[in-house]
Amino acid sequence: MKDLDLAGLTISEVAPLIKKKQVSPLELAKNYLDRIGKLNPKLNAYLAMCEDEALAAAKKAEREIRQGNYRGPLHGIPFSIKDNICTKGVVTTAGSKILADWVPNHDATVVERLRAAGTIILGKTNMHEWAKGSNSINPFYGTPYNPWDTSCIPGGSSSGSAVAVAAGMCMGSIGTDSAGSVRNPASLCGTVGLKPTFGRISSYGGVAGTGGYTVNHFGIFTRSVRDCALVLNDTAGYDPKDPISSDAPIMNYTKTLGAPVKGMKIGLIKNYFDQATVSEVRQAFDEALRTLKSLGMKTQEIEIPHIDLIPAAQAASTRPEANSDHDHYLRTRPRDYSPGLLYNLIAGLLTPAPVYVHAQRVRRLICQEFDEAFKSVQLIVAPTIFAPAPSIDDCNRGYIEADGKNINLQDRAGNFLTRYTIPFNVTGLPDMSVCCGYSSKGLPIGMQIVAPPFREDIVFQVADAYERSTAWHKRNPPL
Amino acid sequence: MKDAVRRLNDEYGFKLTDKEIDIVAQQAEEAALLFRPLFEVDVDDITPLTKVDKRVIATPAQKGKKK
Repeated sequence: MKDLDLAGLTISEVAPLIKKKQVSPLELAKNYLDRIGKLNPKLNAYLAMCEDEALAAAKKAEREIRQGNYRGPLHGIPFSIKDNICTKGVVTTAGSKILADWVPNHDATVVERLRAAGTIILGKTNMHEWAKGSNSINPFYGTPYNPWDTSCIPGGSSSGSAVAVAAGMCMGSIGTDSAGSVRNPASLCGTVGLKPTFGRISSYGGVAGTGGYTVNHFGIFTRSVRDCALVLNDTAGYDPKDPISSDAPIMNYTKTLGAPVKGMKIGLIKNYFDQATVSEVRQAFDEALRTLKSLGMKTQEIEIPHIDLIPAAQAASTRPEANSDHDHYLRTRPRDYSPGLLYNLIAGLLTPAPVYVHAQRVRRLICQEFDEAFKSVQLIVAPTIFAPAPSIDDCNRGYIEADGKNINLQDRAGNFLTRYTIPFNVTGLPDMSVCCGYSSKGLPIGMQIVAPPFREDIVFQVADAYERSTAWHKRNPPL
Repeated sequence: MKDAVRRLNDEYGFKLTDKEIDIVAQQAEEAALLFRPLFEVDVDDITPLTKVDKRVIATPAQKGKKK
């Protein structure tokens, strides 16, 4: 097999080599498992390994390719799956004590589709308890560490997925995102993270209680924009098992890669994303805007009149939806939640039904305001998070120090780390986080690119154009 | 709000301490304050959001298609 450096290796680089039989899927899987063996004690990205199944799948892939039955760019590619997504016969904890021993008897649709594409599933990744938070400080399974600085959080809730991709412990991963749980750790770990349009990827097989029904999305982590398009090609599409899955037509998402972006108009939302952005993130974002403009794109300020209501609409939606799933365990095993989550769930029981319904009406109003904005711009860009990764100590004390002031990590709406990502959960718009720079401490900074519903093609086109113009995505964590 | 938390405590059998009841009640009060502005919005003609694909924006290719 060719001598490959797994750190930073992309699917797009290795897939042609697998197709030409210059790289063995079996050797590739073994190399990744070795690397995980070395790095996981330090990073805690994986909760469970599927070593035997992975090696069997890799052998099968190798045999098929040798026989001329190459399935496509994901054939033989090592993947990981967040631990709140069902994998048949593999323990799936959702980062919780309650499900510590639960073994699903079925695969999630997204896992089925990845297996059908020939991917090799290496294991299940660590996460915030029940996906209900974004610092991933997990009292039951330990905190996954940011590979760029292990004193820092990797974000979350799909923390292990982001860590694994950033650290070269797999080539792609699937996570879930109810408030930013794919884009947030992607931003803090310097990977690509896509939350597609609501219903674009089936959420069948997501563990109940790990995402509000109307705001939850399955999403993709990769090292490059092209890789992400390849993964969406094999995972998007209607699923009769998922009532909220969309039958909107899918497309070849690699088609717009490399297409010129000259003349496209970027919307910049006023009075939301600039409220707490620290200077290092602001500078990186401004520089990214200059890069996009240098490609011939134009910017225009846009207004979403009710954008300030998004944190309320998000909380009013997710809390009752979560409680619907947790009622049984709240009655039978309340002390098997961490205290913070237990208090949060009990407080959620006190959300009146009219608040929930009213929030859904406000959400439609906000969606209409975004639809109106998209009449004058093709996409929206914004920082993914207001600051680079906080330290674990910052999270434990509840604030970060930046620009000479203290910024709380919690506000009335809950989690301040997700404030910039929740607008696109409330509206279901497709949104990708890409790396747009590094802090003075060497921590990644993310920019999110948002398009109208089901226009992931625009997201890929612009993200790819940006990626081609910069080298941020080529850096690897100092491991 | 503390009374409401105590009722839940009895109904669900959480066995919350007084300190924990205070914490939960405070969170619920904060949430009530957060939600209040939602009711200041006029949503008279607006039905709740149910499914995103009811408002698909046509792609350029679809726009150009003849029926």
